[in-house]
Amino acid sequence: MSNTEPTGPAGLDVRPVKRPVWKRLSLVWLVPLIALSASLYAAWQSYQDQGTLITISFENAAGITAGETAIKYRDVTVGEVEDVEFAFGLTDVLVHARIDKTVAPYLDDDAQFWVVRPDVSVRGITGLDTVLSGVYIEGNWDTDADVAQFEFVGMEQPALTRAGQRGTQIVLRANDGSALSEGAPVLHKGIQVGYLETPELSSNGRQVVVTAFIESPYDRRVTSSTRFWDTSGFSVSFGTGGVSLDVNSLASLIEGGVAFDTIVSGGNPVRDGQVFDIFDEEQAARDSLFIDPNAAVLEMAVLFEQSVSGLSEGAEVRFQGIRIGEVSDLSAIVVGESESAEVRLQAVLSIEPSRLGMSVDATPDAALALISDFVARGLRARMVTGNILSGALLVELVQIDDALPAIVTLTSGQYPVIPTTGSEISDVAATAEGVLARINALPVEDLMDGAIDMMDSIERLANDEYTRAAPAALVELLDETRTLVASEDTQAIPGDLRTVIRDLDAIVASAAEADLIGDLDSVLETANAAVANLDAATENLPEIIAQVEALTAKANALALEGLIATANDTLAGIDDLVSSDDAAALPGTLNNALDEMRGFLAEVREGGAIENVNAALEAANQAAQAIETSVSTLPELSARASRLVAQTEAVVNTYSERSRFGTETLQTLRDIQTAADAVSALARTIQRNPNSLLTGR
Amino acid sequence: MQVFDLGSTGPISGLITAREAGLVACQRCGQVHKRDAVYCKRCEGALQSRDTESLQKVWAWLIAGMIAYIPANVYPMLLTSTLVERSESTIIGGVWELIHHGSIGIAIIVFVASVMIPMGKFVAIIYLAVTVQQRSGAHQHGRHKAYEIVEFIGRWSMIDVFVVAILSALVQLNTIATINPGIAAVSFALSVIFTMLSAQSFDARLIWDADRTAG
Repeated sequence: MSNTEPTGPAGLDVRPVKRPVWKRLSLVWLVPLIALSASLYAAWQSYQDQGTLITISFENAAGITAGETAIKYRDVTVGEVEDVEFAFGLTDVLVHARIDKTVAPYLDDDAQFWVVRPDVSVRGITGLDTVLSGVYIEGNWDTDADVAQFEFVGMEQPALTRAGQRGTQIVLRANDGSALSEGAPVLHKGIQVGYLETPELSSNGRQVVVTAFIESPYDRRVTSSTRFWDTSGFSVSFGTGGVSLDVNSLASLIEGGVAFDTIVSGGNPVRDGQVFDIFDEEQAARDSLFIDPNAAVLEMAVLFEQSVSGLSEGAEVRFQGIRIGEVSDLSAIVVGESESAEVRLQAVLSIEPSRLGMSVDATPDAALALISDFVARGLRARMVTGNILSGALLVELVQIDDALPAIVTLTSGQYPVIPTTGSEISDVAATAEGVLARINALPVEDLMDGAIDMMDSIERLANDEYTRAAPAALVELLDETRTLVASEDTQAIPGDLRTVIRDLDAIVASAAEADLIGDLDSVLETANAAVANLDAATENLPEIIAQVEALTAKANALALEGLIATANDTLAGIDDLVSSDDAAALPGTLNNALDEMRGFLAEVREGGAIENVNAALEAANQAAQAIETSVSTLPELSARASRLVAQTEAVVNTYSERSRFGTETLQTLRDIQTAADAVSALARTIQRNPNSLLTGR
Repeated sequence: MQVFDLGSTGPISGLITAREAGLVACQRCGQVHKRDAVYCKRCEGALQSRDTESLQKVWAWLIAGMIAYIPANVYPMLLTSTLVERSESTIIGGVWELIHHGSIGIAIIVFVASVMIPMGKFVAIIYLAVTVQQRSGAHQHGRHKAYEIVEFIGRWSMIDVFVVAILSALVQLNTIATINPGIAAVSFALSVIFTMLSAQSFDARLIWDADRTAG
């Protein structure tokens, strides 16, 4: 108890009981809680969804904009470029991009990226949409998720083959890459079934290797017996069917391209990476169909003594008309030693055993045994003309029945040697079709008997006024004879025949003394000289033959101008011969002979040498018969000659037609060139200013 | 009945509040009742001398508003797609673009309406709430004025949202040009709404209680 003032209970503390915090909390707090959780969820979600950062390095980042340029996979946007910067040292442009999380695991080492820009080529226009929308980065990868990568090297050119695209990749080899360009079509029966990728030199630098992609299902058409050939440009070929011109599609004309075909069934299906050769021509490709390019070949040598001009590497080797291989090498080798050493020309033949009718897996040794056997029975090698126009030769293995015994020489050099026989280069010429064959078919002896100009000369002789005057002169001679017989003097002869005969004897005696017989002999000699002149004229014929043969030889060598010049020379020679003095002098000579005969008869008449007349007439008759004989062969010669001229003319015409064909080809080429120029100019314009496609400028 | 001097010119410390006088005023119609009255006799509105949960509500709405304001700035406000390109612009990005294009006046308007006013409101509300909690007696008039400004200006904060709404409605030319509102537009609208609710939840009478306890 205290003694202080107020009594009673102390003042109550009436503060209200504090309610617990959770009871005092307003429901409004739910709002920021919801907002916060929504925000956090959104933030977490966007962090979760944030793409994987990758880096692509490009040499050239034209058109790539940070924050705008999309990355597309099969035309679906899967990411976006976040940043573009230079690599250290300004070597590359680094493009940083975010790729969707769902896609990122597939970006493994086969992923490729390139920038899609408008592109105009002979195959068409691509990427036109990027003219408006700006460039985008196209990605390409397969559907297998291997070890994901985050740094890539972008390609400058779009990848032609989509990863995961179904088809077969094969490798093509060619000796010349000028016909191969990236993206060039691979055709099968005229349809594009694939395309070439970038051609590259092989590791040894001797060939061009290009990967080709054949799309499924066409890749099933490619088997181990498929052959590829070059279809670029166009080909012109001369054959028995005339001239043929093959022009493929415009794209393959400009860009090149290859075609393939599988003629024989039964080839094995190919896997990726199978190697094929590209043949220059379809025919060559088809010719090689029955052999395996990788099969072993038998290499044998042939030693020729004469020139192998016209024989080239790749020339055919034929066995009884069938191609069994080709000439793989030509070289000169020395045979023998010291004084007996000779230079021989060695042709190495690559013979494919399978073409000899042996089984596909026959070894070269087996083929060698077979050929050795043949050689023992008379098989010989020789060169024959393969192409009469180009003069190309080929090597033929022929069976010679009466051949000297020989065997395949195994020891002399690097290759077994097949013995040779005389080359039949002209034989082929003789049997070849065409003009030159017919020229060759003319028998040389017949040509010796007569000549074109000879016939002309004789014809001129026959038409000559002197010659025509000759019968008249003979008639005159007979008339004179008759006059002589009917003359009083002559009729008076019987009256005093004995005296006359005695006198005649005396005359004969005196005539013998006066060398009248000698005169007659000289007349006959003159007639003989006339005949000899004819012979002399004929002697020029071998020259003509030689010229014709030279013409043939030059035609063989396909020296066109030479051929025409030689033909001209021949004709000029013929003209010369026709207009030669000898020929022209012939009628005069004959006339002289007649004149002399007439003079002789006059002498006889005056000298009364009647009995010599018959002999003289007979001599003249013989001379005339000689002339007649000569003349009788001339129509045939004339026909031959005119044939020769016609043939020569035909040859010349043919070539001039071909030259017109050449002009047309040239014109076609120029047209194509102009078209190509226009296309490339358009391409350049569009590349410089893609907007022109829109604006039309 | 005791008469109080309610002269407006006198010092604040000399005033007495209705609460101290045992009275409660209806906030809707202004009718003054005895302190223990529960409903207004005139308008039947609920009577409350002081809103005890006012500060809680203020803080809750304010925080919600501030949270909503973050995506409003991070995400794009406008999605503009034309034939050529597609662009997204945030508030600040739009301001930058306007400055780059030389429209500094419009840039200032957008900046003020979209950034300065919301931020200012946040700051003002935080200041008011904090000072009330600390029962600070300083600047009572100034604080009251600030509260009134915040309340007044709140509705004008929606100017951005209106612009976006109008543009989106007008520019719908299919592939040629299309404008769509972005996530930020919704967030911004929410932020403004939350802030206005926050300001409305604030019981201005609490400002005047401070000096009672302090003094």
